[in-house]
Amino acid sequence: MESSASIPILKVSNITKRFDKFTAVNDVSFDIHDGEFFTLVGPSGSGKTTLLRMLVGMEKPTSGDLSLRGKRINELSPNKRPTCMVFQSLALFPHMTVGKNVEFPLTIRGVNDSDRRTRAMELLTLLHLNPTRYYNKNVTQCSGGERQRVALARALAYDPDILFFDEPLSAIDAQLRKVLQKELKDIQRRTKKTFCYVTHSLEEAMVMSDRVAILRSGMIEQIGSPDEIYSSPKNAFVAEFMGEVNLLSITTDEPGRATWAANLNRMPIHIPVAPLLEAGTTRKLLIRPESLRFLAPGETAGNSVPVRILNEFSLGSRIQYHVEVAPGCSLTVERLREERTNSTDATLGWEIQDSQVLES
Amino acid sequence: MSMPPWKKFFGPGFIGMLSSTPFMLLMLFGFVAPLLCVVWFGLMPPKTFDILQTPTLENYRTILGQTYFKSILWSLALAVITVAILLIVCYPLAFAIAKIFRGGGYFITYAIVTSLFVSENIRLFGWVIGFMKNGVVGGTLAKYFDIQIDSLLYNIPAIILGMVYVYLPFMLFPLVLGIKMIPDPVREAAFDLGASRWQVFRKIDLPLSMPGVMIGSLLVFVLSIGAISEAKILGGQKVVTIASDIESEFTYAQNWPLGSALSTLFIALTTIVVFFALSRFDLEKLLGKKTS
Repeated sequence: MESSASIPILKVSNITKRFDKFTAVNDVSFDIHDGEFFTLVGPSGSGKTTLLRMLVGMEKPTSGDLSLRGKRINELSPNKRPTCMVFQSLALFPHMTVGKNVEFPLTIRGVNDSDRRTRAMELLTLLHLNPTRYYNKNVTQCSGGERQRVALARALAYDPDILFFDEPLSAIDAQLRKVLQKELKDIQRRTKKTFCYVTHSLEEAMVMSDRVAILRSGMIEQIGSPDEIYSSPKNAFVAEFMGEVNLLSITTDEPGRATWAANLNRMPIHIPVAPLLEAGTTRKLLIRPESLRFLAPGETAGNSVPVRILNEFSLGSRIQYHVEVAPGCSLTVERLREERTNSTDATLGWEIQDSQVLES
Repeated sequence: MSMPPWKKFFGPGFIGMLSSTPFMLLMLFGFVAPLLCVVWFGLMPPKTFDILQTPTLENYRTILGQTYFKSILWSLALAVITVAILLIVCYPLAFAIAKIFRGGGYFITYAIVTSLFVSENIRLFGWVIGFMKNGVVGGTLAKYFDIQIDSLLYNIPAIILGMVYVYLPFMLFPLVLGIKMIPDPVREAAFDLGASRWQVFRKIDLPLSMPGVMIGSLLVFVLSIGAISEAKILGGQKVVTIASDIESEFTYAQNWPLGSALSTLFIALTTIVVFFALSRFDLEKLLGKKTS
């Protein structure tokens, strides 16, 4: 993974897209490296689809530049770009068989019948679709998972420099989605193609990607490997987007100390000394549910607060608790099943190094 | 536990049958019965008005012995030309209404539908005023350009113009619906996979809009093969269509059995042509295909 992470294949420089007065994508710059699995992730309305449509050429940027292997491609229409996209709706051709769908880009290129057929068979095999069964099958009779594979095979037949994906897995049920995510990653590794995937699910992005870019209202909040983003989210938005986390509203006092505004209750707590902040700065304190624990009588931790347990949910090997710190202020705690607690009142604790001070 | 018999009787089947009764009655008395009357009347001896005589094939012998086939060929030719011209004229407009104009398409739709509020004959007489000697066109040219032209009426192009004009909505709207059925991402995907605009049209737009093309063409074909006013009003006596032959048998010649026989033959011919076209293009299959 590290070896390929140097050569940019696509350079996005200061791309902006405005629709009338609305700015969908605002001065975004990033690189996609050759052979990597890159994911753009953001909530709906974050501009990720608009950005993607500009990368494949279906929208023209209002300003900024796109260059593919050092060549400016702003003006190149999608049919002239050596990139292609797997659509959210898959956009298979309903009047063609699986085979003809996969062969479509080759037909356009004027490849002869037998070569086309051979390539289609290869691709169907690569995607675990038995060619003898599927080649002549009508695409409208294929299941959701099969259609995903046909769409991917068709895109690979085009042999693009970069293959883009517009949330193609969003309509698939959770179980199959997990299988297809791993398959997609596997295909990417085997074909050594550059994949650029768009999704609203950071979880999906984390599973597949080499690098992830997080978008929020048309701007990139953070770019990095899944590990980097998990271990050091840049701000509260990124942290929250990653899943269930606790974000405490705090106001700094002297270094290492802050006041936590738990709704109406204000409590002094200990925070990490770094980053050094002026007193009176408001920040969010990130604590992961698994970093919180119930303290036994007499046990101490960097911080501790009395809580009331409101609810518990089984997550299989772990149990999630919703606990109330003060009326209207609750936290999420996740513990292993063996550490189950039965009382309603408890003392919650966490270590100072397990918390992070973030901008909101 | 079995259902009480009265409940069985008033079950969904019964309600369905009850609901279909008005339609069945209408079809029976408004469509099937007159058709049977026409077919039967065609078997009566010529120039009689009694339907209780011994059936005879004499009318059909008369038809084959005369030049009615000319009228049939004219009707067929005019219908085919009308369909062809309308396909070429309407497809781009339908495409624009369905895919490009978005909101603006409604204005064109309303404008075209409004023209249907005026009776066909009155609209055709409008063309007569435009094209006759010293009419709107001729008069304007004479006054402002000093060009003298004769009447533009009473020829075959005038008939075709009239038919194209009258049947345009019947081609346009099925085409709009057909083209609307093409999902945009499918077109974009073809474009993205390297297809040129022409290739997208040939390989995606045209096959996927085929239901609309078929329905529009059949509708216009069936309507224009039975057309009578265009040839009469704009064509003078230049061309006699089969419909006007039938009309004159019923009115001027007072030969109802011959008119009925001609009608029967004409209906049979049209049916054969339409069914042939339908069998070539599997409409069910085209319409049944779900695109998503």
